[in-house]
This record gives sequence, C-alpha cells and structure tokens, in this order.
Amino acid sequence: MAAIGHGGKQIVERILGPDEARRRIHGLTQVPIRSQIANEVIGISYGFFSPIEGFMSKADVDSVCRRMRLAGGIVWSIPIIFDMTDADIAGYGIQPGKPVVLTYTGNPMALFEVEEIFTYDKRAMAQAIYGTTEAKHPGVARTYEYGDRFIGGKITLLNRPKINEPYTGYFIPPLEMRKKFEERGWKRIVAHQTRNVPHTGHEWLMKGAWSQTYAELPIDKPYVGVPVNAIIGEKRKGDYIDEAIILTQDELRKAGYFGDHNHLTSLTFWDMRYAGPKEAVFHSALRTNLGVTHHMFGRDHAGVGTYYGPYDAHQLLATIQNELAITPVYSMNWLYCPHCGEVTSEGLCNHKSEWQKFSGTLIRSIVDDGVKPPRLIFRPEVFDLTMECAEQYGFGSPFVTDEYLEKRIPVFSILPL
Amino acid sequence: MYNGKYPINLWVNEERYEKLQAAGLADMTKEAMAGLKVIYVYADEAQKDKILRVFPTAKFDSATTRSIELLPRKVKDEIFALVVEKKSIDVMDDFLQKY
Repeated sequence: MAAIGHGGKQIVERILGPDEARRRIHGLTQVPIRSQIANEVIGISYGFFSPIEGFMSKADVDSVCRRMRLAGGIVWSIPIIFDMTDADIAGYGIQPGKPVVLTYTGNPMALFEVEEIFTYDKRAMAQAIYGTTEAKHPGVARTYEYGDRFIGGKITLLNRPKINEPYTGYFIPPLEMRKKFEERGWKRIVAHQTRNVPHTGHEWLMKGAWSQTYAELPIDKPYVGVPVNAIIGEKRKGDYIDEAIILTQDELRKAGYFGDHNHLTSLTFWDMRYAGPKEAVFHSALRTNLGVTHHMFGRDHAGVGTYYGPYDAHQLLATIQNELAITPVYSMNWLYCPHCGEVTSEGLCNHKSEWQKFSGTLIRSIVDDGVKPPRLIFRPEVFDLTMECAEQYGFGSPFVTDEYLEKRIPVFSILPL
Repeated sequence: MYNGKYPINLWVNEERYEKLQAAGLADMTKEAMAGLKVIYVYADEAQKDKILRVFPTAKFDSATTRSIELLPRKVKDEIFALVVEKKSIDVMDDFLQKY
C-alpha cells in the first residue's frame, strides 16, 4: 500500500545506493554544509518533509511567505532554504544546471541539483513567518544570519547517516514508522511534540490526548498509540541535553507509565524556529508524513517569549483543518491540586485557589537547586535517568553548557562513502 | 505574582532545611508542589528587571508560574544565606546592592 503523506502525495525516499552514489558524484564540486542544512537534507530525503523534494525555489519561498502554501498550493508554513554568500557561490562556481555534492564533516552526504539562485528580502521573510522583525526572536535571528542568496534544487541522499549511541533506534523515518504503527495495530495515533525531559504535566498531556483520541473505538485491546517525536537540532545553553530528552521520554514507557502497547519514542532532526503557530502547521505536515492521525497542541505551541498568544496555533490550524490529514487534539494545562492529591486538568478541577501550577522551567529550577522533585510532579525513574545522563553525557549537568556544546557526542555522523 | 511582586523559589533540600532548623527558621518554609518545601523571596518589578539583566540565564516564567527561575545555584545559595542571616525573606535590596 502506498504511503500517502502531507498534501495527499506519496512518500518516496530520495536515497541512492552506495555504488550509484559513488558513480554520480565523480568529478562534481564538493560544498560543505552546516548542521542545520544537514538536518534538513535528512528531512527531505527520507520524506519527513514530503512533498518537498529539495531546497525551495523562489516561487515556493514566496508562496510560503505570502500564502502559507507551496507554489503548487499544498499548505506549507516554513521555508526550507539553502543559503549562501555571494563569495561562496562564486568560489565554488555554483550555477543553475550544475549539480554539486554537499559534504558534512568532510564526507559526501547529498547530491544537490542546483536549479535556481535567487535573493529574497529577509526582513519580509521574518515578518511573514514569525510575525515580527525583531532580531531577539531566535527564528528571526536565524533568518538574518542567512547568506544573502538562496539556492533551490532537488536533494538526493548519497550516504545514510550513522546514528550514534544513545540515539540508535530512535531515528525512525516515515516509511519505517508506518510499519511500526501497523505492527502495533494502532488505528489512531496521536503525536506528542517535545524538546523536553518529561514532567507529569507532559505525561498527563499525553494520557489525556490518548483518551480524547480513543473516543468510540472498541476496547478489546488498545487501539491508540502515542508516538513521542523529539525535535533534535541546534541547542541553546540551558536546554536539557539531547541524550536526557530522548532517553527519559522512552523511560516513561520502560518504567511502566506507558507500555509497548501505546507508546513509542522517536526523533526528528530539525533546528527549532520557535515560529509558534507556523511551527504548529509545520509539525502537522511532518507528523502526517510519519503516519499519525492526530496531533497534540497545547498552549503556546512551539512559541517563545510573548510573541504569540496561547491559542494562536489552534486558531491558525482551524483555518486549514480541511486541508490537513491529521486531527488536532487540544489540551488545557495540567497542574497539581493538593486538595485532590493528584495531577489534574484546569478544565476538570474546581479547587482553583489551591492549584499548584508547574512548568518545565519550574522543574529545572528545582533540579538546579539539588532537590529531587516529588514523584507526582517528576517521576523518580525520569529524575534518576536525567542525573545519570548528566554524568554520562552532560559533563555533570543535565542542561546544555559551553562544554557540552564543544565536546558532545554528535547525534549522527556521515562516514566516508 | 504576590502583592505586585514576583517570587524566587528557594527549594529546600535537606542541607538547606538543616540550616533553617539550626537558625530556628523552619517555620519559614511553605509547602508547594505536591509537598515540596520552598521559601519564597519576592522581587518587585524593578528588582525583577535587574535580576534578569544581571543574570542572563535567569528567566521570568510569564506563562505559568509568574516566578523568576533558572538563577544559578550559587546565586540562590547567596540569597538563601542572606535569608538565614537576616531571619527574613525581605532581602532583595541587600542582595542586589553588590550588583
């Protein structure tokens, strides 16, 4: 059965075998790429970003900025662009019609069929995607740092990434992911987007979404699964380290808060843009390609600071609902009520004056103070594993430090072809 | 927010609790977050802004708790030491004097 992804298009991996790859790159100019572009090469070639087959042309970028659609009309919210300086374009002799080999960490990674070189007003792009031109917005800052020219063209992977420990097993591309869903017999699948070590607010967000999604399905066996899809990409100081994020998310399953029958942790390579509502639309496309049927969206999904209202993402998704293949599942905040003695939803409990709200930031402050949070807030297995990750991978800290940025184990490597 | 002020949560681990007990200040702790003990030290608007400026890792959690979080551990230890020394949670002016 064909794997149909976002926009109703079949997902096709754009990957060559090693022999053909070696043959195709012979004599081509090699162009090194940075990690953001390498992440996106993987996203394009494995079908995470289907129907996109390469870095966008000017027509696509303009259409995404102006209409939140690809030039062909399919909903798409964030430009996938290859930027370069004039000097590099001249230095590498890049020209339309002349393919080049993209290299990462010195080894061939992808074939780039250069079709177009163009400029685009970066301020206009920032305003269109992020709703602001302020450089303190991390997505806007990223946009302003791009080279002044953009190159559009198809991408084909030449060399599959070697996923390094402890991430092995968590890189599950769309076609493989769909097989896993089928093996588990899940009829509805509700994705959880994360870039955090989970506290029980996250856990109950997932459990609540599981119940919402289950609805009228039969209960002779569990038919709903929760794939946790962690965004792994550029880190900022103070974030949880990647190892802790991926391993603790899976620990919720291993420690029995979920099980094999309803939980699966995986990762997607992507540098967060913090585009709020536009990133929510991007997540819809991405997870549609992974084969999910539903997607959780909480307050201020993928936002930053006070740039977006708490429900802006929900409102934007509502405008395109009939063009998306997933059903959004919205959730109110989960909090601790000492009167109930449990984590509950603000939509359920009425002991409002007693509520104890908590957030990832608050839990980080507890951990920073050398305190083990109560199990109702942070599972002990998750806490212990977070601390183990700090020792094993984080140079003593579960949070990103300068030392971690300098010495961390890369999530993937591109080996010689 | 409490009376126009923003809390800094000094989470009380065993070491801090022993110091509070020794100073006769164990009653100063409140129960928060499923039984976890905490001391709230409050900053006003100007103090909050100064803290965020002086300590770049600090973050004001505007969405959920409206508290000042992610101050470095040694900074919170300093604030805690002032609380014990002055037997008061009203220590922000003293603390910020040297910054």
